[in-house]
Amino acid sequence: MSYTIASNLKQAIKILKESDGKAQVIAGATDLFLENLPSELVDVSAVPEILGITRGKDFLSIGAGVTHAEAAASSVIRSEAEALSEACRIVGSPQVRNMGTLGGNVINAAPAADAAVALVALGAKAVLTDLYGSSREAFVVDLYGGYNRSSVDSSAEILMRFLLKPAQRGEGSAFLRFAPRAALALPLVNAAARIRVEQSLIKEARIVIAPAKPAPTRLLETEKLLLGAKPGLDLWQKVKSTASSEIEVRGSMLRCSEEYRCHLVGVLARRVSQQAVVRAMEAE
Amino acid sequence: MKEQVINFQLNDEPVNVYSDPSLSLLKLLRNRFNLLGTKEGCGRGDCGVCTVLLDGRAVNSCLIPAGKVQGRNVCTIEGISSKSTAKAARFHPIQQAFVEKGAVQCGFCTPGMIMSAFALLQENPSPSKEEVREAISGNLCRCSGYKQIEEAVLEAAKVMICQKEHPGFK
Amino acid sequence: MPIDKEKGFDAKNNSSGATVNQGPDVWAKAAGRALYGIDLQLPGMLYGKILRSPHPHARIKAIDTAEADALPGVRAVLTASDIKKKRYGIVVQDELPLAYDRVRYIGDEVAAVAAVDEKSASRALEALNVEYEPLSAVFEPKAALAQGAVQIHDQFPGNIAWQRELERGNPDRAFKEADLVVENSFSIPSVHPTYLEPIACVASSDYPGNLTIHTALQSPDIVRDIIAGALELPFSKVRIVGPVMGGGFGGRVYGNLKLYLLSSLLSQFTGLPVKMQLSREEEFCIGRPMIAAELKIKMALRSDGTFLARESEIVTDNGAYSAQAPWVSKTLSERNDSVYRIPNIRTRACLVYTNKVPTAQYRAYGNQAANFACESLIDQAAEKLGLDPLQIRLNNCTQAGDTTVHGLKIKSCALKDCLKEAAAKIGWSNRNKNCGYGISAGIHASGSLVANKDFRGASARAVLELDGRVTLFSGEQDYGQGTYGAFTNIAAGVLELDPDLFSLNCRDSLITPYSQGALANRQTTIGGRAVQLAAADLKKLIEEAASEMAGEPVRMEKGRLKSNDGSIMELAAVAVYYHNRTSGLTLTGEGSYVPPPVEYDETSYGNISVTYSFAAHAAEVEVDRETGAFTIKRIASVHDSGRIINPLAARGQVYGGVAQGVGFSCYEGYLFDRGRVVSKTLADYRIPTALDVPHIACCFIETTDPEGPLGVKGLGEVVQVPVPGALANAVADAAGVRVTELPITAEKIYRAISKGECAR
Ligand SMILES: Cc1cc2nc3c(=O)[nH]c(=O)nc-3n(C[C@H](O)[C@H](O)[C@H](O)COP(=O)(O)OP(=O)(O)OC[C@H]3O[C@@H](n4cnc5c(N)ncnc54)[C@H](O)[C@@H]3O)c2cc1C
Repeated sequence: MSYTIASNLKQAIKILKESDGKAQVIAGATDLFLENLPSELVDVSAVPEILGITRGKDFLSIGAGVTHAEAAASSVIRSEAEALSEACRIVGSPQVRNMGTLGGNVINAAPAADAAVALVALGAKAVLTDLYGSSREAFVVDLYGGYNRSSVDSSAEILMRFLLKPAQRGEGSAFLRFAPRAALALPLVNAAARIRVEQSLIKEARIVIAPAKPAPTRLLETEKLLLGAKPGLDLWQKVKSTASSEIEVRGSMLRCSEEYRCHLVGVLARRVSQQAVVRAMEAE
Repeated sequence: MKEQVINFQLNDEPVNVYSDPSLSLLKLLRNRFNLLGTKEGCGRGDCGVCTVLLDGRAVNSCLIPAGKVQGRNVCTIEGISSKSTAKAARFHPIQQAFVEKGAVQCGFCTPGMIMSAFALLQENPSPSKEEVREAISGNLCRCSGYKQIEEAVLEAAKVMICQKEHPGFK
Repeated sequence: MPIDKEKGFDAKNNSSGATVNQGPDVWAKAAGRALYGIDLQLPGMLYGKILRSPHPHARIKAIDTAEADALPGVRAVLTASDIKKKRYGIVVQDELPLAYDRVRYIGDEVAAVAAVDEKSASRALEALNVEYEPLSAVFEPKAALAQGAVQIHDQFPGNIAWQRELERGNPDRAFKEADLVVENSFSIPSVHPTYLEPIACVASSDYPGNLTIHTALQSPDIVRDIIAGALELPFSKVRIVGPVMGGGFGGRVYGNLKLYLLSSLLSQFTGLPVKMQLSREEEFCIGRPMIAAELKIKMALRSDGTFLARESEIVTDNGAYSAQAPWVSKTLSERNDSVYRIPNIRTRACLVYTNKVPTAQYRAYGNQAANFACESLIDQAAEKLGLDPLQIRLNNCTQAGDTTVHGLKIKSCALKDCLKEAAAKIGWSNRNKNCGYGISAGIHASGSLVANKDFRGASARAVLELDGRVTLFSGEQDYGQGTYGAFTNIAAGVLELDPDLFSLNCRDSLITPYSQGALANRQTTIGGRAVQLAAADLKKLIEEAASEMAGEPVRMEKGRLKSNDGSIMELAAVAVYYHNRTSGLTLTGEGSYVPPPVEYDETSYGNISVTYSFAAHAAEVEVDRETGAFTIKRIASVHDSGRIINPLAARGQVYGGVAQGVGFSCYEGYLFDRGRVVSKTLADYRIPTALDVPHIACCFIETTDPEGPLGVKGLGEVVQVPVPGALANAVADAAGVRVTELPITAEKIYRAISKGECAR
């Protein structure tokens, strides 16, 4: 029956272990606090092991406890993972960005969580630690377990960090969202892309759209279309039509109709790819 | 949750309170410390009228579990006035500018708005119009259309810079 | 830069002009020391909560309160059987404090509890057992009007809460003779005033039966009347004391009568103060939005663009109970006819009960909803005739000296100049090809007299205190719009004294003169005039007392009392002299302003207001044709509100009113799912943030109105009126298609564009 601010990973694990599954991890609280709280909470937002942004030789490591504000302000993230930078900049409001963490964004598992969409497009992996000290890696997309449900049990595992490949030569990423208000709004559609070009031809492409399925969804057909292609009007037209036809989306009274969302998926997939290509070409 | 002792700095004073840690910081401030300047408009982070500073950053106090502030620094609208000088009951240049520029109408959003402006000016002493709008984009105001708030924050920025450069300046 | 760092929290020290202009609370508000309804606490106070119907329409078969009654901490559980079955209402009497045998919408009040804390009160609600028999419900006005539709109130057959047919001139002939007839249908959803402070009150009933309600209201005295009537209390036993008001916008003219009645009843039952407060969700689900409207309108024109006639069919959605909805429907169906010279009018308006949230009013009173429809149609006509939208408006607009089609006597009017200036400000003659432009005009009554034909005016008192300061008493309310500042300035002007010498008492019905309050733009116009007269009366009384004291004629000039030989007397000395001579009386000036009687016939033809304000807005928008997304780049907002006595506050009214207009036009609107409010948070009912309000260019064209005090006319409401028309027209200009349903969203523009392209 308690709220404990863990000062390190060991302490956090200890409390989780001793609580017999009753305690749950809490970070920025911006999602969890609006739900029914469990009887025991372990606040990990000050655990040094899940904080910080580090650039290794061939990886970028971002702590799960990094807030949206920190991520948006990070020059490393801007240069190595621009899509994530853009996504974090647009979350909620300054107040929400100051508290909300990337880890919480992923584990809360909202279908169109902004940072999660960018992370999936960037091919990020999550590093998790269980209560016995063993850790595992998983793609961010695989942490989704259903609508608004994570496959991670936050009373038995701690999300530690995200690992990304830094932007390579000829690579660019971008994030776009279409929302009904300029701040404090959930998107009708958001989209992220990571694209690599070589001599003006697209060599790698990951395009992600949400909300469509429980998790941010890759547009595999669209990606296929892009591979090997030379960017041009014709290609972009096809990207738009392929993207809107390759996945099913749902409409909702509060956001928009199914038909309109489907149209937006096409437009945003195209625009975000175009943006990523422009950046990729600049990086060549 | 069971009550526990929470120690923190509140408006530059050490305080401790025995409280349910799952109570919101907003309720803690209002109900336990009688600091009624921090208002409640929605309880879900959608309006920003409950904005306070946590370690200098603007946050929605309605979304902060009381347990989270253990060992940290909380500043509310009541702590702003005394920030400028040691004496109590003095107005901060932001408050002054809000009044003089017509940024206060019904006043319900004002404390939260001022806290967001305060956080902005700590980090960015001479913001652009756009940066001001961005910084207050989590604070709804229904009266003002935000224009005079924007003008007030820009004016306060000028005054604060002036005061920094000329400490005796009034 | 003038910075007075010594400024204290008390009124003594606020020597800045800003304080005077913006009212006495402004420093307290900036300091976080202003106390609002939600902040109130009284010793021994209980917390009240309400059990609400989960059904849109059902019969209450039984309510079992035994379990709730027995819970610890619970002090009272009220159901309809505990109280008198006495209906109340504002226009029609259709409400009871608690549902008697039937509930009529999801949220209808079924029981009320009071307990020692909020938790116990919530537990009591959970322990109440109500047995319902669901009835079939009706959610759309059209369905409610259909033959055989379920009847929501037995006393209102056909579900018609109010209706009206109106004809002026000879519309049939005009339509026959017209060169062009245009028509279209428009729909406007319910919107919520969305004051940021949810309504809260503390009611306190003592044993002699005096009831004090602490709550912030725009029209406390009118609410007092209704409460006294509904609770069958003598009027003099009901007192309303206002804390600071966290926004009103029409929503707090009557506030939430249910809440006041139920907290009062709980307080009467328990003998203790009872606090009740709406959550944000309750504000949306049971707090009172403005009526939704469907308008079908038709316009007749000559080929040169002269307006000949307009015919409107209007259906408004009342929801389950009818607060001010009949009046709002009336303004909505009528006021816009006076913006332009339209000699022939036919209007059929009908307000219909449905099993949805009851409605009330919002700033601009439906006038902005009609503006959207009427101004859209004018642009349709201009396009057909190949005329410039600005020119067609200039050719037809109402002017000073006109008596409009409904009999409004326009004594001052700069509408033509407002239109020209709005066009100039937006760059009408030099329009950017990539943007769309729209222009629109509005009129609003300033000092409307129709709420109570017999009580048209206002009164005020000005008291010379023993220390030589002046205290003003007025029943008008200020919630940030600058009324109190204006009153102080008006009185200070009359007495030629420093505004800092004035204090204002407005918020306690025990001591303030009865007033109609903050509605119909009447505060500065009518209330201000009363203050002016009271100050003048006080001046006369001061001079009389001073002359008596000096034994020779004394005159008050430039704020100083001078006798013939030039010697000067202190105000305080005169006050004390009078006080002593009368053993305790104070010099009290009284002012009562009674506007000329309103004369209107049974069709309500006549001059219904002291004066009228005008505004013209122009908007520039950019539309992304691929998605329908649009950016409002600029809005020019030009006003004839008579003389502007406080430019800072006036600008604040304009920026805020335009921002609300932007919300109304492009963001807001109730969404229902079979009677259930779906848009029930501030995340889903979206009002504009700082990043959504465009650049607003604001301009005043001052006229001198013979009726308003100091030539002042209202501003707060008219500012919202032309926004929807200007935006709708700008979007139509940019997109090449017209959206006829508010709010204008990207999806609606996209659909209209797609439909247009299919047709082509
Ligand atoms: C007003 C408002 C606006 C918002 N707007 C947006 C928006 O625009 N876009 C958007 O994407 N989101 C938005 N959100 C949602 C929210 O802010 C984000 O999802 C945020 O990133 C959640 O992070 P947190 O640290 O606050 O999570 P918490 O609430 O602390 O936790 C959320 C979940 O994650 C688990 N968890 C957190 N960290 C860990 C960890 N390290 N290991 C294991 N489990 C963990 C918790 O147990 C809990 O189940 C908004 C929220 C609010 C209140």
